[in-house]
Amino acid sequence: MTNVLEISGLKKSFGEKKVLQGVDLTVPEKKVFGFVGRNGAGKTTTMKVTLGLLAADAGEVSVCGETVHYGNTKTNRFIGYLPDVPEYYSFMTAMEYLNFCGEITGLPSGEIKGRCEEMLRLVGLAGEKHRIKGFSRGMKQRLGIAQALLGRPKLLICDEPTSALDPLGRKEILDVLVAAKEETTILFSTHVLSDVEHICDEMALLNDGRIVMQGSIEDVKSKRRSNSVEIQMERAEDAQMLAGTFGGFQVVKPEVLLLKDAAKVSDVLRFMADHEMPFVRMEKQEATLEDVFMEVLKNGSLAENQKEGKQ
Amino acid sequence: MKAFLKKEWMEMTRTGRLLLLVIIFAIFGIMNPAIAKLTPWMMEMLEDSIAQSGLQIGEVTVNAMTSWTQFYKNAPMTLIVIVLMSSGVLTNEYQRGTLVQVVTKGLSRKKIMLSKMIVTYGSWTALYLIYFGITYGYTAYFWGGDEVPHLMFGVFAYWLFGMVMLALLLAFSAVASTGGQVLMGTGGVAAVLFFANYVPKLQKYLPLQLMNGLQTAAGAMEVKDFYAAMIIAGVVIAGCGMISMAAFDRKRL
Repeated sequence: MTNVLEISGLKKSFGEKKVLQGVDLTVPEKKVFGFVGRNGAGKTTTMKVTLGLLAADAGEVSVCGETVHYGNTKTNRFIGYLPDVPEYYSFMTAMEYLNFCGEITGLPSGEIKGRCEEMLRLVGLAGEKHRIKGFSRGMKQRLGIAQALLGRPKLLICDEPTSALDPLGRKEILDVLVAAKEETTILFSTHVLSDVEHICDEMALLNDGRIVMQGSIEDVKSKRRSNSVEIQMERAEDAQMLAGTFGGFQVVKPEVLLLKDAAKVSDVLRFMADHEMPFVRMEKQEATLEDVFMEVLKNGSLAENQKEGKQ
Repeated sequence: MKAFLKKEWMEMTRTGRLLLLVIIFAIFGIMNPAIAKLTPWMMEMLEDSIAQSGLQIGEVTVNAMTSWTQFYKNAPMTLIVIVLMSSGVLTNEYQRGTLVQVVTKGLSRKKIMLSKMIVTYGSWTALYLIYFGITYGYTAYFWGGDEVPHLMFGVFAYWLFGMVMLALLLAFSAVASTGGQVLMGTGGVAAVLFFANYVPKLQKYLPLQLMNGLQTAAGAMEVKDFYAAMIIAGVVIAGCGMISMAAFDRKRL
């Protein structure tokens, strides 16, 4: 499998502020790649360097095997880009704008009209005859995806495409991205973790200008998957007895216990059966991305541990 | 690049900028012969009050020269209008962020800059032709028999001066981020030129010399007095063009 995007050792400062401090990132083909980080973590900066819109201080970025240069970069022909706040020529209609994009992106002229109509249908703007001036934010965002996908890019870069939208608008955008996955590789930045869980195959977490975690969603989650088992007893006194008998229990509520070490589960179960203790539920705790996110952010050294683990 | 030019045209027509410019230039164009034509009549109207103040007015004669004198008097206004209206040719797009999508779609920056040059130079040329054409038409109609020496040469020289100012404007547009900075830069260079013009030795080399078309018509200057300034104008336009291209390639959008 080839990598559509490879970033190595990318550094960028704005004045005193070191935004990127050596970002390494690889995005494999035909994946939806979630680029996660807090506001100001450097997501947009990384994307802009990839598009040749910002000059890097150090490091290398290559798209489809070609190196990206600042300014006029040829690699942009592989990329479709949706900025965080897309800006259009407001005196055009959606169709005219897409036509314009089709022409400058070098689509064969016979194909442009059909492709534009197809894209407008995909994003649900097919019947829209008004000029862009009167578009809502959601409509602009959808038009943004249409223009980004128009030229059948190998890599679609979306900068926080869902951040400013209401739940319905967000779902529409996510659906469009899932549909687009058939044709292209998608790199999309966000700080909304549920979006990542919904549609991404892989993700990377950017914190303080470094990638602190990267891998498939399952990998990431399993790395942090806790071994804890939560047990809710019917009676609080049984819970007390369990906690007294076995070490490693954490009392969450009087009748709810958290067993940190899952290996003890069978012993605990046997004990409960012997003493005829009724329980309400017993479940293994799933780590959500949010837990992972929080833990990683709290524990900056984790990244180093992981690196060592890999080697 | 055709697509980008088409977009520029759409922008000019749909935002009403083109119509506004055509109207302004046409009004200026009509004013030149109109003022010339109306001067005797106005003098007549005012004759009584002027006579009361003790002044005597002789016969006022107007001819084609009067009209062309007005042409050169108003020409700086037309140039100021085009400079003001073009100051946002690139900076408006930087500020709105509209070029980001165009550039990331793979349109080369050179083509964008070239389109902007075509639009800016083209607008000036077309509008100046309207301004000139209207003045020429009416002047020929009223005073058709009058001979104005080196008329076309003087008119061309003034056009070339406009091109120099716009070349500077484009170069500043490739570097600056706001229309205000562009105007300050272009205006600043113009101010420096006007100061430099006080040095008699420099005069014939400065592009400002190109504004003196009326002097050739009046016989006070010869065509060859313009040659040095013309060559320098050409060099400045070409130089600005190269600077614009190079700077825009590295411009942060």
